[in-house]
Amino acid sequence: MIKLTGITKTYYRGKVETPVLLGIDLHVREGEFLAIMGPSGSGKSTLLHILGLLDRPTGGSYRLDGIEVSSLSDDELARLRNDKLGFVFQAFHLLPKSTALDNVLLPFTYAGHFPEDAQERGRRALGRVGLEHRLHHRPGEMSGGECQRVAIARALVNDPEVIFADEPTGNLDQRSSLEIISILQGLHAEGRTIVLVTHDTAVGCMCRRLLRVVYGKVVSDEPVAEPTVALQQLQTLKEAAK
Amino acid sequence: MSLAWRLLKTAIVSLWAFRSYAALMMIGLIIGIASLTVIHQIGQGAQQVVSSRMASMGFGADAFYISSGGGRLGVRRGMKRAITLTPEDAASISQVDGVAHVVPHKNVARTQVTAGGNNTNTRVRGATPGWAAARNWALIQGRFVSLTDIRQSARVAVLGTTVVRELFGDVDPVGRRLRIGRTPFIVVGVLESKGSSGWRDRDDLILVPLSTATKRLSRDDKLSGMRVTMTDASRVEEVKAEVTNVLRENHSLLPGVPDDFLIITPDELMKLITRQSRSLVAMLTFVSAVSLFVSGVVIMNIMLVAVSERAYEIGVRRAVGARRRDILYQILMESLMVAAAGGVCGLLVGLLLSYLATWLLAIPTAFSPSGFLWALGFSAGVGLLFGVAPAKKAAGLHPVEALR
Repeated sequence: MIKLTGITKTYYRGKVETPVLLGIDLHVREGEFLAIMGPSGSGKSTLLHILGLLDRPTGGSYRLDGIEVSSLSDDELARLRNDKLGFVFQAFHLLPKSTALDNVLLPFTYAGHFPEDAQERGRRALGRVGLEHRLHHRPGEMSGGECQRVAIARALVNDPEVIFADEPTGNLDQRSSLEIISILQGLHAEGRTIVLVTHDTAVGCMCRRLLRVVYGKVVSDEPVAEPTVALQQLQTLKEAAK
Repeated sequence: MSLAWRLLKTAIVSLWAFRSYAALMMIGLIIGIASLTVIHQIGQGAQQVVSSRMASMGFGADAFYISSGGGRLGVRRGMKRAITLTPEDAASISQVDGVAHVVPHKNVARTQVTAGGNNTNTRVRGATPGWAAARNWALIQGRFVSLTDIRQSARVAVLGTTVVRELFGDVDPVGRRLRIGRTPFIVVGVLESKGSSGWRDRDDLILVPLSTATKRLSRDDKLSGMRVTMTDASRVEEVKAEVTNVLRENHSLLPGVPDDFLIITPDELMKLITRQSRSLVAMLTFVSAVSLFVSGVVIMNIMLVAVSERAYEIGVRRAVGARRRDILYQILMESLMVAAAGGVCGLLVGLLLSYLATWLLAIPTAFSPSGFLWALGFSAGVGLLFGVAPAKKAAGLHPVEALR
């Protein structure tokens, strides 16, 4: 599904060149749950931006579903993001004045046509993350965990082929983090492909495959032997609180 | 859902979210458009007053006016205008082909008028029986100057309502005596009230028979002016030329000597008044155009700030599939809507102000649909023009940078 070959990325600030990615080879198959880990400045976020078609690599080849995306125009990339990709950000990035449902429906605004069952699909996506009772709440009226769940519903609503999550638990407490990861684990169990960036080893160990990036290079790429089940952790946490 | 509707809805939601900014952006436009509307309404009102006044003076398309003294319309405003027209001129003009009626009159200088213990100072004018009909001026009491009055140079007077009020109060004036200067007159009729026309009270007037004015109230038989009615309005230029020839011949003017009279057609008068009011309107319009330009710059700056503040929103939209041009259209739509809303508000404020001006200050105003469209178009134009820079800035944001 995703095939990166020799991807490099160099930032230019004036005359100063900052190489961030030094040749990344990566193959992500359909249905994988991949965590990209690394210390800050390792280039993991840049890699996610390139994977998510938000940024272009300086060199190398990126094939998404067999399409070579490095040669596509900005508009074509926007169409692909809309059609095939979903995003979850660390800071949620919801529109503050729009309701949960309107936020979830945002991708449809930029789809080729607005589906007639959009409302229904929005409700279903919010139901999937357990927020059917929050349809008309605005982000300011919800907790961080709930906001992130709205963001996941937004990423889900257009039925994407890959969901990209950039530090999805970075702004959340332990319990909300577990809730978010357990939703992602559930989505993976349904067969969705998920690529997640984190610097939190505990989160990394809840995925199925762990890619470590240091200084723009892949230093290890191995399956997680026994992934932690977030739901169990959540139960343990709840019992401990009693 | 069509693209336009989605753009509109997005713009409405964003504007509502940033309504304090939107309000700030609209203030300048509201002031600019409101003043433009008021100016326009007053200009329209003035023109309506002029045309209705000209109609009430019997100044239809089939008539023109000959005034004593030369010069050019709108320029000559001397106190000492030569009184050059004579009753003979009136007689020869009535012989010109195409002329239906000639109604001459003579203005007597403002005179002290007394009746009983009261006195007032008013305009006295010598008129012929055709005078009232030519001006659509009806009587509310008594009768007008008759042919017999003219033949006998009778000492009879027809009063305007202001004079009646000053001299007689509530008493019925018809049949009563008054003195114009030292000459005694009898009141035979009262004119209907025409109201004031800005600077002058039109009811502050006494009419006497033309022959009485020339023989008894002044020392010459010259005429101040005459109204010429034509049989056919389309022949105005031809009749005007012939009348000019007749008058120049009567006055023995050599070629090269300027006319000592002035022919004023309703067309020329209307043009003159329009020209004068237009230069004033043009100046005021320029001032409000400057204020609109300034408000455009204000809109642009506020939107530039707003775009920076909303960078992450733009980033999110780009991430979920918005193209550069979707963002461009969104911001343009927002500034267009702010401007249009400001325009509509300004228009309403302007209408309210002109209504108040009419109500409280008695300034005539008139609504014009063209001005309405103009205000809307102008403000929308300002919105589009000054929305371009912020929209380009927003569309140019890199999604990754915007999301930081």
